[in-house]
Amino acid sequence: MSAPATPAVLEATRLGKRYRRTWALRDCTLALPRGRIAALVGPNGAGKTTLLHLAVGLLAPTAGTIRVLGRAPGGDPDLLARVGFVAQDAPLYGDFTGAELLRLGAGLNRRFDQALARDRLGRLGIPLDRRVDRLSGGQRAQVALAMALAKRPELLLLDEPVASLDPLARREFLQVLMGSVAEQGLTVLLSSHLLADLERVCDYLVVLQAARVQVLGPVDDLLDRHKLLVGPRRNPAGIAGVAAVVRATHTARQSTLLVRTDGPVRDPALTVGGVTLEDLVLAYLADPSAGTRPGPAAAPAPNRLEVQA
Amino acid sequence: MTWLVWRQHRQQALAAVVALLAVALLLVPTGRQMRAAFDDLGLRSCLPGADHSELVAPDGGCASLSEQFSGRFLGLGTASLLLLFLPVLAGLFWGAPLVAREVEHGTQRLVWTQGVTRLRWATVKLALVGGGVVLVAATYALLVGWWIAPLNDATGYRFTWLFFDQQGPVLVGYALFAFGLGVLVGTLTGKVLPAMAITLGGFLATRVAVALLLRPRFLPYQRRTYPTIGGSPAEPNQLAGDWVISRAVYSAQGVKLTPGSGSQALCDQTSAAQCVAKYGAGAYNQELFQPADRFWLFQGIETALFVALTVVLLVLAVHMVRRRIA
Repeated sequence: MSAPATPAVLEATRLGKRYRRTWALRDCTLALPRGRIAALVGPNGAGKTTLLHLAVGLLAPTAGTIRVLGRAPGGDPDLLARVGFVAQDAPLYGDFTGAELLRLGAGLNRRFDQALARDRLGRLGIPLDRRVDRLSGGQRAQVALAMALAKRPELLLLDEPVASLDPLARREFLQVLMGSVAEQGLTVLLSSHLLADLERVCDYLVVLQAARVQVLGPVDDLLDRHKLLVGPRRNPAGIAGVAAVVRATHTARQSTLLVRTDGPVRDPALTVGGVTLEDLVLAYLADPSAGTRPGPAAAPAPNRLEVQA
Repeated sequence: MTWLVWRQHRQQALAAVVALLAVALLLVPTGRQMRAAFDDLGLRSCLPGADHSELVAPDGGCASLSEQFSGRFLGLGTASLLLLFLPVLAGLFWGAPLVAREVEHGTQRLVWTQGVTRLRWATVKLALVGGGVVLVAATYALLVGWWIAPLNDATGYRFTWLFFDQQGPVLVGYALFAFGLGVLVGTLTGKVLPAMAITLGGFLATRVAVALLLRPRFLPYQRRTYPTIGGSPAEPNQLAGDWVISRAVYSAQGVKLTPGSGSQALCDQTSAAQCVAKYGAGAYNQELFQPADRFWLFQGIETALFVALTVVLLVLAVHMVRRRIA
């Protein structure tokens, strides 16, 4: 039996992870195409960290399977070498200097571009001879990112990389990330709950809610497919071109509907407007029963979104 | 990987060297003092020619010299009981934090996602740090072995509890066991301080259980009887170095007459009537003991036991690191 060639860098099938009695992640089926910068969003406890830890082999699945770069994570040194990972809060050995951390990376990885990392940190003005626990949070995050990128990974997994950073450091971090992605041509999966930042950076979206995948697809398609309809107060059902109403809010006179379309909406009573990524994510998160994702087990084509009814 | 282990443990290595130096600073002068006294009292010339027979006359041979020596230095031997606790430090400060500190600081998420597997990380780390434990413990054992030699010879106590426990290869076994226990408990708890506390308790409990319950039974006892009414020679030769586990007075019919495990009756010809009055005619003393020449065998058995326990603990710890925690 030969496995079909898949463009997916990360592929999960009915993936689940249970801690004692609670499922941290359940029935998670997704495929992340190569070359994307994917945002993994969801409220705290939705399973984002669990999914990333499963992908990097820190956890083993309770149910289902996960394949990263076509291999099963965990105990596979070849795969470890090809995946960069920055855990939440960017853990580093506090008593090591930056230079020592890079030496650690060089010692533990067959492929580790120390010069690249030194150069990158030098340009950011981060001193390599100082203990990292004396660096600022933003600088530590940069050191952790530089270590992950120095592996020249094919897939980079970042767990809340900017959550603890101030807005300036956050912007700088994301800029460095974008620059490296352009240079190294890697795939990124980045978890965050800071939606505004992600909108500028990410072109693929995974929304996790209550341990399940709720929304999945390329950002462009999702934004194209979702519209904000404003018009006189009305029953949201039965509008031509609307596949589903994700969120409806009503005032005494007016209805505002965030909808998923399956064709043009040509109702003259309605003003049709675009949505932002933040609107879209918040609308879905407000209603756990709504969801849109590619058909099960199908690897999504990069530019097409199949909507599940 | 080797560099990383050195970088993470160099402070502990330095602390161990300093501790060894401190112990040496304590033991070398007192050891020299004991040796000098050993020579001055004439024990060195007396003991090799001493009577090695099983039973000796009271106060015969080197017994009085030995008593003088013990009077001066046995207190030192007792003070050295503090050294009994040194091996457990390997468990507290090298073993317990090895995995637990990584988990506590979350750095296992850094080091286990580099290009080496957890299995390799754990085996290299345990091999190198465990090797350090062996090195330090062996150095310490040699030092204490040199120091305690005159006390061994002068008292014949080498095989007894507490003397046996503070010399020889068992020290390496104890240190390794403490280390292995610390690693496993640290892996299970993921917290350094609780791991240290549990390691301390577990180590002491195991050591006491093995010393009191298992060690006397490593091999069957030997039995020796000797009369209550002394002719000459009359009492067991303590300097022979046997480990006496119990002794008691038995009637001629073989009924145990004295309670507990530490009584003997020794009457000379003038007090013989008292012994007969108390225990009846034909009463005898009986002693259960492990003969002195089993000392190294027992050291070997106990060392092997603790090393085997260590292997089990470390295998479990590696398994946990690979499978369970993250």
